[in-house]
Amino acid sequence: MRPTRWFSEVGWRHVVGVLAVVYAGFPLVYVVSASLAEGGTLTGSNELFASVSGANYAALAGTRFWTWMANTLVVAVATGAGTVLMGAAAAYAFSRFRFSGRRAGLTALLVIQMFPQMLAFVAIFLLLVSLGNVVPVLGLDSKLALICVYLGGALGVNTFLMYGFFNTVPREIDEAAKIDGATHAQIYWTIVLRLTAPILAVVGLLSFISTFGEFIIARVLLQSEESWTLAVGLYGWVSSLQEANWGLFTAGAVVSAVPVLALFLFLQKYIVGGLTAGSVKG
Amino acid sequence: MRRSILTAAALTATLALTACSGGAEEPAGEESSAPDGAGATLTVWVDETRQAAVEDAATGFEEATGAQVEVVLKNFEDIRPDFLAQVPTGKGPDITVGAHDWLGELTTNGVVAPIELGDTADAFEPVSVAAFTQDGQVYGLPYAVENIALIRNTELAPEAPATWDDAIAAGEEAGTRYPLLIQTSTEGDPYTYYPLQTSFGAPVFEQNEDGSYTPELALGGEGGTAFAQWLAEQAEAGTLSTDVTYDVAVAAFAKGESPFIVGGPWMLEQFADVDVAIDPIPSAGGEPAQPFVGVAGFYVSAQSENALLANDFLVNHMATPEAQLALYEAGDRPPALLEAADTASEDPVTAGFREVGADAVPMPSLPEMGAVWAYWGVTEAAIISGKSEPEAAWQKMVDDIQGEIG
Amino acid sequence: MYQPVTRGAGRTGWSPGFLVKLALVALVDALGVYAVLAAWGARSWGVLTAMVALLLVANWAYFTRRALPLKYILPGLAFLLVYQVYVVAYTGYVAFTNYGDGHNSTKEQAIEALLVQNERRVEGSPSSPLTVVARGEELGFAVVADDGAVRAGTADQPLETVDGARVEGGRVTALPGYDVLEYAAVLERQQEVTALRVPVSDDPADGSVRTQDARTGYVFTSTLTYDAASDTMTDTVEGTTYTPNDEGRFEAADGTTLPVGWRVLVGFDNFVTAFGDDRYAGPFLKILLWTFAFALLSVASTFLLGLFLAIAFNDARLRGRRVYRTLVILPYAIPGFLAALLWSGMLNRSYGVVNEVLLGGASIPWLTDPLLAKLSVLGVNLWLGFPYMFLICTGALQSLPTDVLEAAKIDGAGRWRTWRSITLPLLLVATAPLLISSFAFNFNNFTLIYMLTGGGPRFDDASVPLGHTDILISMVYSVSGLDGTAAKDYGLASALSIVIFVVVATVSALAFRRTRSLEEIA
Repeated sequence: MRPTRWFSEVGWRHVVGVLAVVYAGFPLVYVVSASLAEGGTLTGSNELFASVSGANYAALAGTRFWTWMANTLVVAVATGAGTVLMGAAAAYAFSRFRFSGRRAGLTALLVIQMFPQMLAFVAIFLLLVSLGNVVPVLGLDSKLALICVYLGGALGVNTFLMYGFFNTVPREIDEAAKIDGATHAQIYWTIVLRLTAPILAVVGLLSFISTFGEFIIARVLLQSEESWTLAVGLYGWVSSLQEANWGLFTAGAVVSAVPVLALFLFLQKYIVGGLTAGSVKG
Repeated sequence: MRRSILTAAALTATLALTACSGGAEEPAGEESSAPDGAGATLTVWVDETRQAAVEDAATGFEEATGAQVEVVLKNFEDIRPDFLAQVPTGKGPDITVGAHDWLGELTTNGVVAPIELGDTADAFEPVSVAAFTQDGQVYGLPYAVENIALIRNTELAPEAPATWDDAIAAGEEAGTRYPLLIQTSTEGDPYTYYPLQTSFGAPVFEQNEDGSYTPELALGGEGGTAFAQWLAEQAEAGTLSTDVTYDVAVAAFAKGESPFIVGGPWMLEQFADVDVAIDPIPSAGGEPAQPFVGVAGFYVSAQSENALLANDFLVNHMATPEAQLALYEAGDRPPALLEAADTASEDPVTAGFREVGADAVPMPSLPEMGAVWAYWGVTEAAIISGKSEPEAAWQKMVDDIQGEIG
Repeated sequence: MYQPVTRGAGRTGWSPGFLVKLALVALVDALGVYAVLAAWGARSWGVLTAMVALLLVANWAYFTRRALPLKYILPGLAFLLVYQVYVVAYTGYVAFTNYGDGHNSTKEQAIEALLVQNERRVEGSPSSPLTVVARGEELGFAVVADDGAVRAGTADQPLETVDGARVEGGRVTALPGYDVLEYAAVLERQQEVTALRVPVSDDPADGSVRTQDARTGYVFTSTLTYDAASDTMTDTVEGTTYTPNDEGRFEAADGTTLPVGWRVLVGFDNFVTAFGDDRYAGPFLKILLWTFAFALLSVASTFLLGLFLAIAFNDARLRGRRVYRTLVILPYAIPGFLAALLWSGMLNRSYGVVNEVLLGGASIPWLTDPLLAKLSVLGVNLWLGFPYMFLICTGALQSLPTDVLEAAKIDGAGRWRTWRSITLPLLLVATAPLLISSFAFNFNNFTLIYMLTGGGPRFDDASVPLGHTDILISMVYSVSGLDGTAAKDYGLASALSIVIFVVVATVSALAFRRTRSLEEIA
């Protein structure tokens, strides 16, 4: 391949890639630098890596950081899995069946998510108080309850993402399977889900990430420190400016980015693996 | 056939579950009916800084009474809204830490119960009890008094400055990057600037004879205008800048880039490597520079089911020198209990803050204060950044606040 | 290969799938019935009704041969109804109440608070060592007076001197005619103890003894009394009578009210006040325009950048694309509030790393100049938002039918043309609803504005605390006092939320209708 042609086909992509990585990563270099500094503040110091020490990372062990990490993983994994399962099922119904209220239902799903959430905490708190009086595990300060609240958003934007993708899977495939005598459930579980693996991975990842960083609802519901999620705990370290603990906070933020990146790396092959992942069988 | 199997399955599972739940509930019932102090659990909301100290006091209380104390950690900024929202549902705590300037809002909403300190009241700094008093009733048990002062790097400036101009002159002589540090930020910081404002004779509200505030604005008038003009002049001279945020100021002082910083005891942890002395804030306008005093304390929920335990815990276990000193160790603020404050004053830095606090004024707890905060800082910042003409901006601020208060 | 299914006879075979379904439904039913029983026990009729309805629908949906779509939608729908629709409905309800400062709780709690706030310790009265005693079931107090005499009484029996009491350590430990309660027993009945008022004498003006810690008694007089029969409050000093009014407060004949009120329904009052304050008229238009501009530009910029990167990295010949892809989603892996905090520091005029390091000591007022602040908000939102669009576009690109693209190539279509007329329309079909939803999200992106600029810089010409980067939802925050500048009014905030919701929903529904035509093409 001649250099000019190489550049116009592949080379420019490297240029874009490097620029994008610098843009995306530069602010985070700042965070990493602060996490390695001793007793520094986040702003007011531009000398990156002026001092390097692992003290802040070591200090995490003296906090409940790892408990929060475990809580967050439990909540985010459960929410991600639940969202994929429920969202995909709904998307399948909207994509494959024709029923009255389908259009209206789709629009309603989209619209209900647009309600300003600013005051939601008032209603959610009261809801969980009354649920908790009946079934304590669905009440305040329970991870299961938090997962349920998050799953309330399982249908919505994600359903649309999958719905659009499901529509691109040729209907002839399920028609063929149906003629072979497959039930709708078999078509769904064994054909459609396999063919749509990339989008399922994307939705799972999106849901995992947004749960991972959510703290407005979590800090209302999770009352005891042992059940906090990372975002709630980390926010606590800097919520009061006077008592702000930037060293711990930035170290925690760096560590907490690791699961997200790891999950992305793991799912990447499904996300970009494309249609080859699912073989059409009939 | 199919149905019956299903029904059977559902029934079996249900029975199993209800059986489990029934089994689980019974012992709980027995426990609560036993005439034992262990049945009661006191819930206390604290922020991170106060957590360990309250837990220590709670251990003593648990031993003395047999009751359980559950110390719940909350972000300090969440405590007020959550307390207001949760107390009416019955899910709120029995006791929470809080600041005295919440009092107006807490009583209007009926979520806080009075505390009778009885003879113990005399054992506290008078200003701390006064701050928690409304209409003759005390609503909080004070534990710390906090105010700002001038923190001086003794190496760079051996003597306390008498006036603002002296301080600036000393700062320039020291040859450091800043003559004096005062946190400002683009939103302004009226709390930190308040002593300078009072030195021009422009307090925020009129005060009654007993020291309580009336909702009559007093920050306008000649004093206010003079202060606004002074802000503009100082900004022009480069001594005040909206770029200096809390972080910037603290970091610069810690690095020895200025001999002075206007700030509170919460900064001290960052200044461990600097030799500091605490001085009164120098007057800029000729009159005494009086900072705000904030009093931290404990409130009892109006819906507490354990009011008796809660009061017992506060009056007999938190109003002790040991407990108040533990809170002092955790937060560096001078204790509210006189005996503890005297002990803490063996540290000259704490004594310095306490001395400055003696001449300070309590921060108003009037609900009208919210409207003042909304306009106050940004106006100061706009004057300092040179965006607004000082006199007109100050007057507009007073009018806007008046419009909001109604 | 697949289990053969008999059709039309009303029977499905006993396939493994059916057994799984059976087991799952049985489990759900079991949990559901448990919850119903528990709700019955706890007398939560609302929860009970909802649970029964959900259970019935679930069983019907999974055992009827009709309602095929519902079988797939129901799980998500159930969560949606309970945790989202309920929240919207509740906010709708709050919009018609006066919930807010001064109207924070129920009437009973307000009365309780008023009574306790208006008790005054009798000046100069001593604090007496107190013991909680009982006469039968009735609680009483025994106090040791200054002169050493022991006086005891109950709520109905004013204090009287009792002889023959045993006093140890200044406190009564035994009393003829009464049982002295152990501390544990006192705790058991602590609400009764703190509520108990033992009159000092037959004259109510002398006040009554109360205690807060069961150890010390104080003499209090009440300046306010409540009469349950007539539902009135009386000020015993002034003699004024207060009756409850429609706004949830006690009001006297001359119109003065007592400070603590309760929540009541106020009809459309909140919607009327929402548009009644003319101080907001000027800023409102500017804020409305900026809100639309902010939301649209945010969607456009994040989508285009995300798409561009997705396309750039979507080439098998590109080495290291796994690394690029992973690093590019970094901003998304950091919690949003941290990003906003971080950027507000980085954009500081004098010390921010952007001016000081990247621009070599420039002093550009990124967050304090009206125009630059808007650009900064958009820039930070781009940084926060493009990884999301990148992920979605990367996923969606996989779904493009490769044969069509190949065909276009063979037909001699240029790269740009292929992109314009095939790739983009197909991508838009898959992503249009997400773009609409992203628009709605940014329309209400309170966290970003609040954390980054706080709405600033302020309007110089307005008399309300609003600024150039405020969007509608942050204006609501300020108007309803939730930012602390005025008395908090959740009712008003809810009403305004609903108004905003109607605006966004209408715009989105219209846009959504447009995308249908797109879908038809594809």
